Amino acid sequence: MKTIQVQLDVNGRSYHLSTIAARTLLDVLREDLGLTGAKDACGGEGECGACTVLMDGAPVNSCMVLIGQADGHQIETIEGLSQNGQPHPIQKAFVEAGAVQCGYCTPGAVIASKALLDRVPRPDDDQIREALAGNLCRCTGYSKILAAVHIAAEEIHHDR
Amino acid sequence: MTAELQIIGKSAPRKDSWAKVTGTAQYTADIPLKGLCYGTLVRSPHHHARIRWIDTSEARSLPGVEAVLTSQDVPGSKTFGPFVQDQPVLAIDEVHHQGEPVVLVVAKSKAAARQAAECVQVEYEPLPAVFDPVEALQPGQPRVHPEGNLLSSYEVSFNDVFAGFAQADVIVEEEFSVQRISPAYMEPENSLARWNLDDSLTVWVSSQKPFEDRKAIAEVLGLPLEKIQVIGAVIGGAFGGREDSSIAILTALAAWAIRGSVQIANTRQESFVAHPKRHPARLHLKVGARQDGTLLALQVIVHMNTGAFASYGPAVGQLLTEVMPGPYRIPNTYIQTNVVYTHSPYAGAMRGFGSPQAHFAMESCMDLLAERLGMDPLELRRKNILKPGDQVSTRVGVDEGARSLVHYLDAMQEARERFRKIPPSAGKVNGVGLALAIQTMGLGAKVPDDSSHRLEWLPDGQILIHLGAPDLGQGLATVSEQFVAEALGLPFEALVTAPIDTNTSPDGGVTCASRMTYLVGNAMLLAAERLKRGLLEKAASMLKLPEGQLAYDRGAVILPDGKRVPASEFASRAADEGDPICAEAMATFPYPEETTPQHLPIGMPHVKFGFAGQIVRVEVDPELGTVEVKDVLSLHDVGRVINRAALEGQIEGGVAMGIGYALYEDVAMKSNQRWVDSFTEYLLPTARDMPDHIEIQVLEIPEESGPYGAKGVAEISLVPTAPAIANAVYDAVKIRVKDLPITAEKLIRMLR
Repeated sequence: MKTIQVQLDVNGRSYHLSTIAARTLLDVLREDLGLTGAKDACGGEGECGACTVLMDGAPVNSCMVLIGQADGHQIETIEGLSQNGQPHPIQKAFVEAGAVQCGYCTPGAVIASKALLDRVPRPDDDQIREALAGNLCRCTGYSKILAAVHIAAEEIHHDR
Repeated sequence: MTAELQIIGKSAPRKDSWAKVTGTAQYTADIPLKGLCYGTLVRSPHHHARIRWIDTSEARSLPGVEAVLTSQDVPGSKTFGPFVQDQPVLAIDEVHHQGEPVVLVVAKSKAAARQAAECVQVEYEPLPAVFDPVEALQPGQPRVHPEGNLLSSYEVSFNDVFAGFAQADVIVEEEFSVQRISPAYMEPENSLARWNLDDSLTVWVSSQKPFEDRKAIAEVLGLPLEKIQVIGAVIGGAFGGREDSSIAILTALAAWAIRGSVQIANTRQESFVAHPKRHPARLHLKVGARQDGTLLALQVIVHMNTGAFASYGPAVGQLLTEVMPGPYRIPNTYIQTNVVYTHSPYAGAMRGFGSPQAHFAMESCMDLLAERLGMDPLELRRKNILKPGDQVSTRVGVDEGARSLVHYLDAMQEARERFRKIPPSAGKVNGVGLALAIQTMGLGAKVPDDSSHRLEWLPDGQILIHLGAPDLGQGLATVSEQFVAEALGLPFEALVTAPIDTNTSPDGGVTCASRMTYLVGNAMLLAAERLKRGLLEKAASMLKLPEGQLAYDRGAVILPDGKRVPASEFASRAADEGDPICAEAMATFPYPEETTPQHLPIGMPHVKFGFAGQIVRVEVDPELGTVEVKDVLSLHDVGRVINRAALEGQIEGGVAMGIGYALYEDVAMKSNQRWVDSFTEYLLPTARDMPDHIEIQVLEIPEESGPYGAKGVAEISLVPTAPAIANAVYDAVKIRVKDLPITAEKLIRMLR
């Protein structure tokens, strides 16, 4: 098995790793860096969005990114969202809206929401549905997740 | 009473949400254990085969491999199962379904385990297999188990169904079928186990029933219960699917075998083929009515496909039988339910537990009957709904909750007008459909249906809840905290819930059957009363005052002079003295002693029921065959709202699951003779598939025996959805789909 050297910037910290080329970004985040917020729910097929992280600001399924493809890129995971111990407005909104049930899809959904709000500050329902269409949730029926994204958009807007 | 309530009914935020939104919540796979090894299963590629031989020598010789286990290595019971011990831990001589575990490989890394698994050689002799439950009962069919393919058969009758049909002006007779569904919670099955230096075992599970898991593990390993500690990790959804101990057992076996720590995690693909599904079923219904719509007779023959193993099949069959007539008064009934083994992925418990299957058939039939009678389907239902005091098929009376049905029909009548006025999108056809539902609460009579929980007053004045049954993500801990906060007049923030641990938690039973709010609530209220008493006793002895001179008020003891002393003062002293203030309580369902001929041995009858109604507007594209659910009104009587956001979340999630059942999901066999086993082909509803509006209307008809009048709602929210959608599709395009799911391919074929 071929080993490669990669440099990753994860949540503002730089990592130099020597790892097997066949591993994915999700494997490395969870197993090497101990960042277990991103989840595997579909068996590494890119179907569920539970492993969503931001790569250079864009949402990716980290189970579909070979570690070599992440070399030199900036990665943001759910663990990097809080600032100075304060949860991000999207995280707060998910709690407030009751958008969290079992929570397994939550990190991915929060990250996908952040990618949306970074791009579209005041999205409508259709834009939210579109942005979250790749994030499966079996508990909530998505209604409260939509509500959470609206609350967060409002909150971020006010903070600006 | 409502005005006095401080926290009951509020959307108290779940405390566990903070860990979940920040990615720090520890699900089983997130728990770091030193020296962890990984287990991988070699699974059967065949639906049915004899195992000629297994050669593990090459796999054993590979670097990093710690153990390669077969059935012969299982030290205790080689099979397990909640009702029938028909499920091998690892296959014994024969495999019964594709995906059955045959060999367990344990290695130092996942890659080494996978590689070794590929080197295990198993020589199979493929045997003929049977997949259809009706066919499986014909003579000459291959047997799934030596005793034959009929796992259980139930017959329940009341009065004379032939006489009923003889008096009927109209008879509708139809065959329905429903497909195999995966619970498809987002966290695939997963377990961790550690063999400890004192020869005990600690197992972390993602499970609805840690105490049952402990028992199953003890039997398989031949160890006393006391040697096994089961700890509940954060659970990534359950929906009944986690009432299965298979992965916990295999992980425990692996840790025992290597005297170390092991993780086994099913992939999503393994989860699809080798973990319990919702039962597929074929239902043959015959309904007779008078011309004025009065129902006279119902005869139903059901064949449920339980797949390779019994799991909860016998109980699911009984519940299906019990709710088969729906929420209607029918004077003559005959229901026969056959639970049949086939060489398919096994079915077990899943949210609704037989009720979704029954209601799809019955509520479709009600619309068919209405059309034959030239009646409004809503009026046909109005004419036949249960009223308080009426009896269901088991001759158990329904209580005041049945009054909700009239309200639902009124609300649906109004909503129907509204929905009909909404113009459909370009090229689409509008359809409006509705359905009612009845769902039982609790496990039923003749099975232990209790739940124990404990409270502890911590030295700082907070209350620690030792919940005896796991929170599945639905918010059980939160509603427990609300009950205790309300009962003791404490702020919600003063409540903390401990994770479940069989070494320290009371046995609260299985989290299932829409029973937890009711049982946990009742137990909490009783325990809170006892805790108060314990506090006053302790205070009296410490202050050397007669207990009668002390009173309790909102977290404080009131002294005879009116002075308030915070409970923490006594709680901390009590803890220092090694005798902390604790109280435990158990709640049960009030089952009757007497039985009727309509009662069956495993959990039938139930005595508490929930009712629901749903009306939906769909838009059908007649060219593409697609169905979009645009508007839903979901109506529920919950007795008392405990946490509004959690309640709405349950209902919205239930509607989503009902939409998936109606339109998309199917663990079907593909043309390559393999089962659908990934989200690529098994389509779950996404955010884009959900209705524009889900309106929820909640009634609060107090359940007299429930905590603050509350009752369960977890399962029923998905039950009326599929028949309401099928009825709406018929309303739109006059196509009656009698077999779920209503896929675009199916509808377009039928439209042509």
